[in-house]
Amino acid sequence: MFIQIEPSSDIPIYTQVANQIIELIARGQLKGGDTLPSVRALASDLSVNMHTVNKSYHELEQKGILRIVPKSGAVINPIVQEWLTNENSRKIIGQLKPIIAEALVLGMSPDEIRQHASSILNDLKGE
Amino acid sequence: MPLAIFLITLAFLIVVQSAIPFLLKRTIVFGVTIPEEHAMDSSLVSFRRKYSAAVFIIGTISLIFLVLWSANASVSENQLVITGLAIQTGLLLLSMALYLFFHAKTTNLKKVKDWNSRFTQIRVADLQSHSKDSILPNFMYVLPMFVTVGLIVYTASQYNLLPDQIPIHWGPSGEPDAFSQKTPFSSIALLLMLLVLQVMMLGINAAAKLSGVKLNAGKKKSSQLQQLAFRKYTSWFLLLTTILLTILFGFMQLTTIHGALQNDTLMMALPLGFLVLMLALSAVYAFKVGQGGSRIPVSIEEDETSSVTDDDMDDHWKLGVFYVNKQDPSIFVEKRFGIGWSINFGNPIGYLVLFVPIVLILLIAFFV
Repeated sequence: MFIQIEPSSDIPIYTQVANQIIELIARGQLKGGDTLPSVRALASDLSVNMHTVNKSYHELEQKGILRIVPKSGAVINPIVQEWLTNENSRKIIGQLKPIIAEALVLGMSPDEIRQHASSILNDLKGE
Repeated sequence: MPLAIFLITLAFLIVVQSAIPFLLKRTIVFGVTIPEEHAMDSSLVSFRRKYSAAVFIIGTISLIFLVLWSANASVSENQLVITGLAIQTGLLLLSMALYLFFHAKTTNLKKVKDWNSRFTQIRVADLQSHSKDSILPNFMYVLPMFVTVGLIVYTASQYNLLPDQIPIHWGPSGEPDAFSQKTPFSSIALLLMLLVLQVMMLGINAAAKLSGVKLNAGKKKSSQLQQLAFRKYTSWFLLLTTILLTILFGFMQLTTIHGALQNDTLMMALPLGFLVLMLALSAVYAFKVGQGGSRIPVSIEEDETSSVTDDDMDDHWKLGVFYVNKQDPSIFVEKRFGIGWSINFGNPIGYLVLFVPIVLILLIAFFV
């Protein structure tokens, strides 16, 4: 269960960490009930500030992906249908829209977009 | 006797110092990170060879000089000790100077050849590293302290038996050659120093546990196995050192209390045995484990990723030796030129772990 960050990227490091954790969950490598390493441990492994990792964990907590339990640390929530509330799906669609729009503006055809979307899905869901 | 000690340590220094470039990771050359595929660049190979050859040849010449010179009957023991120390210090300074020279050359070569530009620099971590970590539990380091505390209590109970002059320094032959007036403090000063050392070792182990497991971007899995092995063996090495120190100091304390135990052969053999054993242990450790476990054999297939490389962190390594990173919560980091741990100078806890004990020991020595 490796995560990697690119310190020179434009994407802030805490977002990179959060995204990688989400990806590990989507791939089924991390499951509900699994604990993430302590903020200190992950920060020292990646040589980043503890606040950075803390921020990623809190972002994931806000999204309902993990629970921060005093003493036992950050625990992944089981993926349950309830989390996909109307509000959540509205938010995700809202985030997809500008990306799809950008792709269209830059000349990607709707078919290509669909193709990319399904190949990403295959990658995450496939073996 | 001093000659034998100097010859053994000097020979050890020559072998280890000249072997160092070959005990290190291929991708860190004289404290500079080099992408895997350029690590064996011909200039870098020649830098390594030149360093080793210079240390080895000059070291061997001075060793031969020491032997020949000491055969001269007019040489006093004092002269021998001073020359021996001077040669050892000289050899260490020489390796440092050579290191700095090649560090500058490697830095320059990396810049001129622009090795970094084709790669994206990344840092990798495994979420499970720490659950697989087998650094010895801290309580193992507490056990030898019971021996020390037991000896302190025993010394107190035998206070009347103690001589009026407490030995505080031992000569090369194991005979005490400096004494201090008997007081409750001076009678246990040696044990207090031992206790400080034991606490320091405990602190090092605890700090190592809290330090990051740094993986190599191109070899995630094998570097993880090596890192974990490095952590495990280093903590075993430290524990063995602690145990040997406890035996040595404990024995010296017992001979002070019971003069009858002062057996000349044993008094000489024990410190010498300690020295030889420590050198042998360090050599085995250096050659078996290598830097960050780089000599631990692993056979694991890695996914080839040629477009990424390790984040070089060169900016955080002053002169390629001193790690200063305020962001990194690690207290210790693996050494870049050498084998073992080094302090993260950006994290003040590291100073506490190493320097407070040294100051305490100096204070005890001063007030005895």
